[in-house]
Amino acid sequence: MKKTLSVNLGGLIYQIDEDGFNLLDEYLNNIRLHFRKEQGVDEIMADMESRISDLFSEKLSPQKKVIVIADVKEVITRLGNPDQIAGEEEEENAKQSTSSTGSRNRQLYRDTDNKMIGGVAAGLAAWIDCDATWVRLIMVLFLIVPYTPILLVYIIAWIVIPPARTAAEKLNMHGEDVTIDNIGKTVTDGFNKVQQKANDYIDSGKPRSVIMKISDTIVAVVAFLLKALLVLVLIVCCPIIFVLSICLILLIVYAGLIAFGGSIEMFNLSWGPLQHFSPLLNISTSISAVFLVGIPLTAFAFVILRQFLHWHPMSNALKISLTIIWIISIIVFCISLSYIWAVYPLTL
Amino acid sequence: MNVDNVKSQMRKGMLEYCILLLLHKGKAYSSNIIQKLYDAHLIVVEGTLYPLLNRLKNDGLLSYEWVESTQGPPRKYYKLTDNGEVFLKELEDAWDELNETVNQLKE
Repeated sequence: MKKTLSVNLGGLIYQIDEDGFNLLDEYLNNIRLHFRKEQGVDEIMADMESRISDLFSEKLSPQKKVIVIADVKEVITRLGNPDQIAGEEEEENAKQSTSSTGSRNRQLYRDTDNKMIGGVAAGLAAWIDCDATWVRLIMVLFLIVPYTPILLVYIIAWIVIPPARTAAEKLNMHGEDVTIDNIGKTVTDGFNKVQQKANDYIDSGKPRSVIMKISDTIVAVVAFLLKALLVLVLIVCCPIIFVLSICLILLIVYAGLIAFGGSIEMFNLSWGPLQHFSPLLNISTSISAVFLVGIPLTAFAFVILRQFLHWHPMSNALKISLTIIWIISIIVFCISLSYIWAVYPLTL
Repeated sequence: MNVDNVKSQMRKGMLEYCILLLLHKGKAYSSNIIQKLYDAHLIVVEGTLYPLLNRLKNDGLLSYEWVESTQGPPRKYYKLTDNGEVFLKELEDAWDELNETVNQLKE
């Protein structure tokens, strides 16, 4: 017994098995990705859909009313995977893009295909290009070492890092270029996986898959509970975070004012409570304070908003430079503060 | 040097010409065009044709119209534009020239 879905293909309605639908959906998404640079991609997709519709209607008869996965596979063989299409139409382009694989720009995603719990370790492993087992081993080691908040870090990572869903995201995760060849490979992988899943379902009597299923269920339940708990904590913390952010923003404004005051003082004008220090010290303290508070605050706001607005993740270069600026501002802030403390040991 | 590669390059080179030739006879349903090229082994997978037809249309060599169909939604029928006819004429000359050259070399 299989669940069927009804789909509208080129203006006609078809009943299609769920696994067949998944395969077709993935295929069409990847074809769209492949043609994304083409002018009028919507029209091409509409043409292909109506062709698929034609081929499907040839398959159906009064005795056969449902499209099964075999029909979908046949249609895909006929229309061609992205790599086959690319092989025929733009060999030069494909060659160019495969030769530029040297410039690898990985993105951090959760690898849900190879997950044990949330796919954080697997994603991290893909990001730093090593075996997931080592990352997991290190994580477990951290779990044994006391006073390391690895569990908290893992849970935050689980929430914050997006899972790799589409073929392009999976390729980015492994640092492979989003070329037609690679997308084709990923589609074929997905194709095999759909088959694999169907086989697993049939062979579910095997002890290994039963154990896997039980552990999968436990993991799913635990994951759900954890996520629910986190949402609850977030809701409870919401006012606190709100107040905290307002305080931090006020701090930034204050620091900005001090910086302003300091710079006025440079021109021998008297202003504000901190005129006993050299203006340079005032400026360095306040500017570093702005970065010290502002960067994490912005990052935090960015992460939160990204969950709702589906923004693109920050580029690695931006992340690294922000981190460097932040570290520099910590150092500058500490040095400046120690000078101020030296003069006023009690106040501030 | 791979023989299949060279053969596919040859087919690729004359694909546009064959499409225009097919449409020179009169307007045709896109599925029929693809079917004919597929049967003639000019294409291995049909997916190649859609972007190509789209490009020819964008370049003003082809145009299409919607024709009501007895079975299902209206169908897209492609036909040659005047520009397309001129383009085809040039390609025909080039093809004849190539043909002649090859025949001369064969003798």
